[in-house]
Amino acid sequence: MDPKLTEVSQLFERFKAALVRNDFDTCANLLSQLKVLLTGFRSLPPLFEDTPNAIHELTLARDIYEHAVILSVKTEDQDAFERDFFQLKPYYTDASGRLPQSPQEYIILGLNLLRLLVQNRIAEFHTELELLSSTALENPCIKHAVELEQSFMEGAYNRVLSARQTAPHESFVYFMDLLAKTVRDEIGGCSEKAYDYLSISDARQMLLFSSDKELADYIKEDHPEWEIKDGCVFFQKAKETAPCKEIPSLQLINQTLSYARELERIV
Amino acid sequence: MTQDVEMKDHQTPSHSVASALPSTLQHLKDIASLIESGAHTKEVRRIGRAVRLTMGLRHKLTAPVLSAFLDFAFAPGSETYKQLSAYLPKDDEHAMEVDSAPSAKQAPTKHSSPELEIFCYLLVLLFLIDLKKYNEAKACSSASIARLKSINRRTLDVLSSRLYFYYSYSYELTGDLAEIRGNLLALHRIATLRHDELGQETLLNLLLRNYLHYNLYDQAEKLRSKAPRFEAHSNQQFCRYLFYLGKIRTIQLEYTDAKESLLQAARKAPIAAQGFRIQCNKWAVLVRLLLGEIPERTIFVRRGMEKALRPYFELTNAVRIGDLELFKTVADKFSSSFNTDGTHNLIVRLRHNVIRTGLRNISISYSRISLTDVAKKLRLDTANPVADAESIVAKAIRDGAVDATLDHENGWMVSKETGDIYSTNEPQIAFNSRIAFCLNMHNEAVRALRYPPNTQEDKETAEKRRERQQQEQELAKHIAEEDDDDF
Repeated sequence: MDPKLTEVSQLFERFKAALVRNDFDTCANLLSQLKVLLTGFRSLPPLFEDTPNAIHELTLARDIYEHAVILSVKTEDQDAFERDFFQLKPYYTDASGRLPQSPQEYIILGLNLLRLLVQNRIAEFHTELELLSSTALENPCIKHAVELEQSFMEGAYNRVLSARQTAPHESFVYFMDLLAKTVRDEIGGCSEKAYDYLSISDARQMLLFSSDKELADYIKEDHPEWEIKDGCVFFQKAKETAPCKEIPSLQLINQTLSYARELERIV
Repeated sequence: MTQDVEMKDHQTPSHSVASALPSTLQHLKDIASLIESGAHTKEVRRIGRAVRLTMGLRHKLTAPVLSAFLDFAFAPGSETYKQLSAYLPKDDEHAMEVDSAPSAKQAPTKHSSPELEIFCYLLVLLFLIDLKKYNEAKACSSASIARLKSINRRTLDVLSSRLYFYYSYSYELTGDLAEIRGNLLALHRIATLRHDELGQETLLNLLLRNYLHYNLYDQAEKLRSKAPRFEAHSNQQFCRYLFYLGKIRTIQLEYTDAKESLLQAARKAPIAAQGFRIQCNKWAVLVRLLLGEIPERTIFVRRGMEKALRPYFELTNAVRIGDLELFKTVADKFSSSFNTDGTHNLIVRLRHNVIRTGLRNISISYSRISLTDVAKKLRLDTANPVADAESIVAKAIRDGAVDATLDHENGWMVSKETGDIYSTNEPQIAFNSRIAFCLNMHNEAVRALRYPPNTQEDKETAEKRRERQQQEQELAKHIAEEDDDDF
């Protein structure tokens, strides 16, 4: 076997062992070494040269990047996740004809969808979704993310929160926790438009706080325009003031003049 | 496309007495001389006309006619001649001999221009595609593209853009679109460097088509937003561009812009392009549904589209009523046709609009309704329907879909009185946008008029011309001053 390949495989074994031990510093260290070594292989994207060991190298590289993504979830580093995912993506799309499908693929794709949802990047979420085949959409990991997005768009936030229990893979839990924060902000935004007031206990329950103090802190921090009075939270202040009845005269004059000019040109 | 058909009709009657074969050959020769003269005088429009005429002849092309034409166009020993005639089937030996005999006499005097050479490539390619010999078509188109890269002449733009199209088309027919992506990008680069705007337009569309074929919306949007844009040269290409743009924007949830592009594409498309208009309408219907609008019935009952749009009609109906059950049945019933259209994911998105419409209907009919009843009416079959209904209503209120408030203690939704719309600026804005649309349409129509070069003007004396120019200048000054006056 190619000595370079052996070196990478050995290093990768050590990386995997460290990942199991949750020794993240060693992992990060080994990973950067691995990534540097991978640049030496000419069969990997973007070159895709047909070397004798191509299949082996591609599989190994894909495996490494998959673990890198998992590592970034464990270290809760979203930027690293995005980077590693984009490095991994060509192995799923462009090399799909040459490699057997990875067992991790759907988990990783599902995680990515969840990440986009957490970051509220819905347009990209749907762009990614278009790339998936109908069999992929049936997979529990993908389906989970798709259903979450649906509940999220509908406003059925309870369903989003209860989905944490049905997470199809352990690494999903991290994003589900992040999603809870996004959901709280959404509920806050909806409540201030939908209710005139809420009792403090109801507000606490709805916004998923365990104590009144947390709620008060949250209001002070994120929504200073809400008012706490007589054991209730009033949203009145946040509502828009009545529309003014003034005639937009300047705009009207402008428009009428432009009509006149255009008509003159026609006649 | 309509033009092509008309052209054909004009041409055939005069020659109907003569046998089909020589007349087609004669037409081709006419077209060739048109191209030659166009190339000579640098009149690109003449070449454009030649291409249109060719499309009319397309179905009359046969192997003998083509080989006779090749004899006419090339010196017998030339490289291209050998290459092209290799693609033609040799089964009709007899007819070929008959035809090539007279033209052989002319051959020595021939020295073909690059325009004519490329035109021959186009003819052979068309012929191969019509015969469904896609692999030969691929080889032929690749050869022509290689040749095109080495010639840089603006008079070729019209011909080359057609060739690009059929190049991509032949690869699409065999399902190898991904293969030529790099090549198309290179061609687009070359076209940009040569200021070949028609080529850029065509190639950009082909690339977008290529990406969208594999659902690569991200790449398509990145290319589209960075590629140079200019005023459209060809209506057909512009329609395609609008359609692709509409698709990309739909996927990226920019529904308002998407609707505009798709409707414009459907409107601008020629009447004959039935399939294209159906596609545009399918997407437009979905986008309008996603926007919360209900498309008019007239869209679905237009002749020729009724059958193709049937699934979308039923879908619209379900959304209009706001019935989740019906929506699910329709989505399941037509799932195969939605899958082939690639609109399945959009249908999934629509679920939330169905709920919205249902909610709006409830809010209009009741001034106050308990959340339990809302959940029942919406048929939310979840573990905790009341809590779900509450948050769904809350979100709908925030997004402005319904005008109501919630009373948490009593579990009610209280609808607000609908205000008098005529007391707001709304009608004035709507009125303005309509006037602006009409005026804009008029201006564009005026701009699109094309005047043939006035022959009388040439006879104008120098003095008269000076006088006229002076008048024009004064007028221009006058207009400029007028413009300054406005604010």
